[in-house]
Amino acid sequence: MRSNFLKAQTQLPERTFVREARRASGTEGLIGVSLLAVFVTAALFAPLLAPYDPAAFVGRPLERPGAAFLLGTNDVGQDILSELLFGARVSLVVAVGAAVGTVLLGLLVGGVAGYLGGWVDAALMRGVDVLLALPQLPLIILITTLTGAGLAQMTLTMALLFSPGMARIIRAQMFNQRGRAYVKIAQRFGASPLYIFRRHMLPHLAPLLIVGLVTAAGRAAAMEAGLAFLGLGDPSAKSWGLMMRYALNLPGLLLTDRWLWWLLPPGLCITLLILALTFTGMRLEKRLNPGGQSS
Amino acid sequence: MVGYLFGLWAALTLNFLLPRLLPGDPLAALLDPDSAGYVYDSAVRESLEAYYGLDAPPVEQYLHYLAGLFTGDLGQSIRLKQPVAAVLGDHLPWTLLLTLTALGLASVIGIWSGAEAAWRRGSPMDKALTAAGVVIGNIPVFFTGMILLIIFGATLNWFPLSGGRTAFARYASAFDAVRDYAEHLFLPALTLTLALLSSKFLLVRGSMIGVLSEDFILVARAKGLPAGRIKHHHALRNALLPFVHHLAAHAGFALTGALFIEALFDYPGMGRLIFESVAARDYPVIQGAFVVVSVFVLSANRLADWLTMRLDPRIREG
Amino acid sequence: MSAPLLSVQNLRVSFASPDGNVRALDGVALELARGGALAVVGETGSGKTTLARALLGLHPAECVAGSIRLDGDELNRLDEPGWQRVRWRRIALAAQNAGTAFDPVYRAGEQIVEPLRLHLGLSETEAWQRARTLAEQTGLTERHLRAYPHQLSGGEKQRLMLAMALSCQPDLLVLDEPTSGQDMRSRAQMIALLRRLRAQSGLALLLISHDLAAAAALTEQTAVLYAGKVVEAGATRDLLTTPRHPYTWGLLNAYPNMTTTRDLSSIRGQMPDPARPPDGCRFHPRCNQAVDDCRRFEPPLERRGGRLVACHLGGVQTLLQADNLHKTFVTNGHAGPDSLIEAVRGVSLAVLAGEVVGVVGETGSGKTTLGRLLAGLLTPDAGAIYFEGQDIQAVNGAEGKNLRRRIQAIPQDPFESVDPLFTVRQIVRQPLDIQRIQGDRDALVRDALAAVGLPAEGGFLQRRPHELSGGQLQRVVIARALVLEPRLLVADEPVSMLDPSEGARLMNLLKRIQNERGMGMLLISHDLALVRKVADRILVMRGGAIIEQGLSSVVISRPQHDYTRALLLAAPSFNWFPDGSQGADESPDINNTGDQ
Repeated sequence: MRSNFLKAQTQLPERTFVREARRASGTEGLIGVSLLAVFVTAALFAPLLAPYDPAAFVGRPLERPGAAFLLGTNDVGQDILSELLFGARVSLVVAVGAAVGTVLLGLLVGGVAGYLGGWVDAALMRGVDVLLALPQLPLIILITTLTGAGLAQMTLTMALLFSPGMARIIRAQMFNQRGRAYVKIAQRFGASPLYIFRRHMLPHLAPLLIVGLVTAAGRAAAMEAGLAFLGLGDPSAKSWGLMMRYALNLPGLLLTDRWLWWLLPPGLCITLLILALTFTGMRLEKRLNPGGQSS
Repeated sequence: MVGYLFGLWAALTLNFLLPRLLPGDPLAALLDPDSAGYVYDSAVRESLEAYYGLDAPPVEQYLHYLAGLFTGDLGQSIRLKQPVAAVLGDHLPWTLLLTLTALGLASVIGIWSGAEAAWRRGSPMDKALTAAGVVIGNIPVFFTGMILLIIFGATLNWFPLSGGRTAFARYASAFDAVRDYAEHLFLPALTLTLALLSSKFLLVRGSMIGVLSEDFILVARAKGLPAGRIKHHHALRNALLPFVHHLAAHAGFALTGALFIEALFDYPGMGRLIFESVAARDYPVIQGAFVVVSVFVLSANRLADWLTMRLDPRIREG
Repeated sequence: MSAPLLSVQNLRVSFASPDGNVRALDGVALELARGGALAVVGETGSGKTTLARALLGLHPAECVAGSIRLDGDELNRLDEPGWQRVRWRRIALAAQNAGTAFDPVYRAGEQIVEPLRLHLGLSETEAWQRARTLAEQTGLTERHLRAYPHQLSGGEKQRLMLAMALSCQPDLLVLDEPTSGQDMRSRAQMIALLRRLRAQSGLALLLISHDLAAAAALTEQTAVLYAGKVVEAGATRDLLTTPRHPYTWGLLNAYPNMTTTRDLSSIRGQMPDPARPPDGCRFHPRCNQAVDDCRRFEPPLERRGGRLVACHLGGVQTLLQADNLHKTFVTNGHAGPDSLIEAVRGVSLAVLAGEVVGVVGETGSGKTTLGRLLAGLLTPDAGAIYFEGQDIQAVNGAEGKNLRRRIQAIPQDPFESVDPLFTVRQIVRQPLDIQRIQGDRDALVRDALAAVGLPAEGGFLQRRPHELSGGQLQRVVIARALVLEPRLLVADEPVSMLDPSEGARLMNLLKRIQNERGMGMLLISHDLALVRKVADRILVMRGGAIIEQGLSSVVISRPQHDYTRALLLAAPSFNWFPDGSQGADESPDINNTGDQ
């Protein structure tokens, strides 16, 4: 009964995508990495690339795209292109932060459970199961509403909610390694737990961690955009999701063609970022784990 | 079964603890005249005080909370000035209508296309469908919705832009009523179907490919069975075992997608309720929604296990 | 003879793979008479299962070329619906792994009923009735039909698979490894069941197996498949008793059966990569007798004495053949009839390429003289010796030198066979110097020493015989024999001077070298216990003549001659305790038995 309960949670859609795409060629990896490079460049050099301060009211409201404003202006006269460039920072900061947090937390919980085993493992995994079974979005919404919007707590919440899946994978791999003959032999030679972890566990965990990092980044980017879209974003950090929310708030936006340069660009950006991360993850998984023996 | 009860208990307890333990003391702020969140309506304030009972010892608060859950008392909505249970009761059917419609559509299309793609593995059709599956599966659901809304709602004017039915409409016949509901449902359901479709397609395809390499499929071919019978009676029947499990377990994912879509299409379900409650910091409603969604998701998981057990003779007795 | 039921001509099956085109079957031809039984044997990867599937049209049509005729109807041009009418109704398949051959979500009976309803158009009730009859025929009951596959044991599934395969009364049943993965008892039951079913229904069997005993028990004809080609085909009995093709011969030698007392010897090397088969004969890299032609040209499957063999040399070559050898010694120097000892009297024998022939007998039986005659150390008074077809007494000069090089003797006493003043290097190098072999002779010396497990560096090379142990020196002597890359070793009591553990180690070494290099070996010994561990065939000598010969397993398990039985009983054994059933006083007196 318990195993079925868990199985449901490991069949997350992104795992299916990744497994499916193993057979694909290296093209998707190239697309993913190139797109990612574009977004990282935009985020790093936003102050240099952006024509205006994204917060400044530099033009008349709702200007059409032109020489002065390549993507026009929004309803309060801010330059949309500059907003987009700076928006990449928000998305990437949340993505990277949540991904690193996910992996670290997962490594901590999964590592401790996998290394110690016994009742510690049982207790930790029971907690992990509960967190995995709870609906994530409503939980994040609840927490974010209660704590108030803010990039830091949003990132932390995501890391907290994404990490149980990671912990499970890490624990499984640790258990797998722990049973190997060479680990037992090293232990017989008197190797310390730290040595075993460093020499025999970490190298086998590394591919999982890297793929987990990229996968979590993709989920975090999507989640951030979604939350901002729902109005739970940090109002001080104008992300792509928040841009879409403001655009949709404008009455009658869809009745003119304004959506074309106000709504569509942030939507495309977030979609491409998620795709870039997914493709990169697929490629990495294939490269790092050609036999596909893990999980 | 114990696992689910434990999960349910954990969800309910978390729901109790979160507002009390998180920094910022959000509940106290509702009752504090000096805070920005102060509830001015005295009747609502009194009912909140009674529901949360913040002055009582924590254990008493907890027992009061659990007792409330069993009697259907989820507190009072600040914004709507109604019992939360009643508010949720108004919105839940719309969400279920949307979610179940999309799940049904996505399942039918996903099973059919997944089975065909696996059957013609490596063909141009398979490659195109698989690539499309990966891409579509990664587009955020609100973006897909937006595009559909712009194209079919705003530009082509084929479907209404928002709402669950025409406001103040008086239907001449039942057919008119169904038609109106269906027109409003179409775009949100299509959006959610697309969001759910790719994972279902990829799952059925992968599972079917696995089954097709089994010895018993070879034997079925050797027995001279027609292709259709092998495909449906043997291969798909086995490939659907993991799918059934996935389907129920994926209900939570579907519901999450529905929340975004309702917010976008102004569809009068739980999503829009949460969306509006978030803006108004209507904690009791958000908490109630969390409880309802958690129960729904956990029950779906339980259902998934039960169904798998019914359908697979190996698990049924083992 | 009437037209065959199944006739396969030039069947080729190839699959595209990342490594290139894999030819799983390459020009296979088979015939099977109505009601007959044919075994197709070969190692894993020989293409057996590909053949089974091809016969039911289970490969993609574009992968299969050639002709498959059933009762005169060409099957290979059939479309999918056409095949569907052939499958199960005319040709049924009992799949290799019955454990996974049943759809897990349906009852076993439903799966037997399925083709009955589809092909024979029976009603549900009729089909179940027939399924019950089939179950009874295979020793099962209604209960098994009602069970889900996971509730059945492996043996039960195997029987149900048979019931399912027989359901539409096919003309031909293809059995893919029906006995693999089973314990000996269920395997025997399976064979008995198949024999019974065949006797009852008169259906034709095509048995795909690596189980030679199953082939022997179930079929009249056998075809041996190697790397997608038939290398030998003929009557099962003949083929399994006198294999012609070196591969068949090796397969039989590698096959364990209850009567084998010899250690397992496998065919050297590996099955070739199916994407890159070797040029010429596909078996040549593993063959003990490959010649240049084998590397260059593919041998055709030709009729040779009632059998089809694909071998340039016509099958396993006779390496050494001796006809009616006689050798008489004069003892006193007086020319009188009393002083003549007939050491060898009319001995004829043959050693096949890669074969180990053991010659056993007591001291004075003439076995050492025979060995010396064969090794060219003595000249026979009468009779002829042929090595690779050449009469060794007729060839002289360079040819004779070359021939002597290919037969090497390993003497009984290593100390007697080396010059005590020579160093190890000189001992091993001597034949190379004598034969004026071109190239780096010292390197060849080192290789030979390494092959016998001796150190090949400076210090050891400079040692002299008295500095070595008996075992080391015997290894040096073996190295000296190997350095000329002989085709035949004549080893006379090679380990009798050594203590038992060193002797066993050396015997293992000799056997391993013989197997790796594919040499023939004539092993002369009084020790039957030793010989039966190594030899493929055994000759028993007494009083200068061969009194019994045959396959080791047969000679050991069913000795025909009293003398052989006596030898067997006299072989060292722990059964001989003073108080045991075979007390010392009961030990057989070899001198008082036999044909004197």
